[in-house]
Amino acid sequence: MPWFLHLALRQLFPPGKRFPAFATVSILGVALGVASLLVVQTVMNGFGEEHRLRIRESFGDCLVTGPAPIEEPEALAKQLAARPEVASAAPFAEGPALARNGDFSGIAQVRGIDPTDPGQPARKYVYGGRFDDLDDGRIILGVGLARALRVRVGDRLEIWSPAMAERAEKGKAPLPAEFEVCAVIQTGFTEVDNVAAIMPLRRFREIWNLGPRAHGLTLRLKEPALAPAAAGRLGAAHPGLRFRPWQDIKKDFLEALRFEKTMLFFLMFIITLVASFSIGSTLFSAVIRRSREVGVLASLGAARWQVVALFGLQGLLIGALGTLLGFLLTWTILFFREGILGSINRLFGAGDMVANVYQFSKVPLHYDASDFVIAAAFTLLTTAIAGLVPALWAAGRRPSEAMRDA
Amino acid sequence: MPEIVLQARGLAKAFASPAGRLPVLTDVSLEVFAGEAVSVRGSSGSGKTTLLQQLGGLDQPDSGDVRILAPGAGLVAPRTSLGRGVGFVFQNYQLMPELTALENVALAARIAGAPSVAATEAARALLTQVGLGARLEHLPAKLSGGECQRVAIARALVNRPSVILADEPTGNLDERTGAEIMDLLLGVVADRGAALILVTHSREFAERAGRRFVLSGGVLSPA
Repeated sequence: MPWFLHLALRQLFPPGKRFPAFATVSILGVALGVASLLVVQTVMNGFGEEHRLRIRESFGDCLVTGPAPIEEPEALAKQLAARPEVASAAPFAEGPALARNGDFSGIAQVRGIDPTDPGQPARKYVYGGRFDDLDDGRIILGVGLARALRVRVGDRLEIWSPAMAERAEKGKAPLPAEFEVCAVIQTGFTEVDNVAAIMPLRRFREIWNLGPRAHGLTLRLKEPALAPAAAGRLGAAHPGLRFRPWQDIKKDFLEALRFEKTMLFFLMFIITLVASFSIGSTLFSAVIRRSREVGVLASLGAARWQVVALFGLQGLLIGALGTLLGFLLTWTILFFREGILGSINRLFGAGDMVANVYQFSKVPLHYDASDFVIAAAFTLLTTAIAGLVPALWAAGRRPSEAMRDA
Repeated sequence: MPEIVLQARGLAKAFASPAGRLPVLTDVSLEVFAGEAVSVRGSSGSGKTTLLQQLGGLDQPDSGDVRILAPGAGLVAPRTSLGRGVGFVFQNYQLMPELTALENVALAARIAGAPSVAATEAARALLTQVGLGARLEHLPAKLSGGECQRVAIARALVNRPSVILADEPTGNLDERTGAEIMDLLLGVVADRGAALILVTHSREFAERAGRRFVLSGGVLSPA
């Protein structure tokens, strides 16, 4: 180990002191900055990932629609499924309806799907009952809608579609369609759970008078990340149809999320900058306090660059240790995030903010290695600079100036 | 004839003051030979420390030239021989407070380029020689003033310099300890064949050097 690294470590962690004040406070300052930065980034990533997943599960990797309902959706699905970039294609239909259980009613966003499709995303979110029980007489509800209607698995409810209103206009008695609830799903996405109703596409067509048509198709792609390119190729092959990659479906929202994440990165990075400034100022006073030692090192033959390294390394070591501790702190905070958020909500008398405002039942998170690399690089850079400035000042002094103090 | 280990010619140094340039050294010349002890006495503020700084390369003279014998390099400018050609002993010891006695001495050898193991071994041997064999792992805060100065002497000698510059080495010590340190300094320096330039107030200690000078009014003259 070079002598200046040995001395830098000794000056930071003097023997016999368990918690040297300067090193401890500086490392904690950096760790808090890094942790704030990474906690925010990881949760923002989580929100982004959750939203992206919901978008893909709701609309597929690529959503196919036309200017009017698609006339022969099954044939089109077969044709599209044969394309090399497409993993599967399924027709769907959707529309709003009034759901009613006696005195309780609610607006349902009904989706008609192929219940035999093993890739149906709703299968993953079954909260009660069985997805495979879905047939022409049964329906699946989002957990919020089921609660609003006061129904459980096995209970019955009525669905009133807009097509029934047309019947009434024509003077025919509108009869609601009756269903038994066979399953309840909980996606964790409140906006979906409060309105979702799923029935077989065949039954949807009957109730909505769609005939053999469908409102569109959802495509699963072999490489979802490359959906825009695939959508472009498919659109060129089927000029009458619109192919929307999942990235475009809520583009503004995803852009806003990305922008918010970038802004938060810079805001949170200010905390790390403040910590670095405090390291710089503390190192400056340490250098002034140690000016005699700087002179002594010069009298022992230390080169200027070695004096720079001695103090510069102290800034870098604080940065490195603070970053590592920050990583650990990030993991700890995120591991206990639900408890921490619950305590904050109780303290401020707030409700379940995550569910009510952000539409999630849990605080989502997604670790992204690049965030950690960027946070570490920025932190090390700023703390190194914070150490370097006083180090250059110390090394620039004439030994005799320091020795005059001796 | 003994070899010249330090050669100073026409050294001059002045400092800025509100009243203008204040001359501290005026045309100081000095030659020191291997193995000899030279003392420089003078009142406070007479420029003794400034002289040592010019001789040791810690500061540049306004005019004049200093050369010091560096092992294997001949007579060179003092700045390039720091740590090897010249060793310092200061009044306040100036040890690194976070390093043990052994590490303080080894540090000087490490700075001069010695490998860690060799530096530690040389430091251990020197500290034993100055009577601190049992105090190797003590921090300076746990050592007495005399012991700290012994560590500082060992540190100055560890790279086998040709000249030791000692600035009031007994200034912070009581009379008895001061005498012990002087005995040690003169003995160890002679033992190693180095030259000693001793700056002191004390007439008694100055008298023990082979050649004696007085610095007064910026002029160095034989005592």
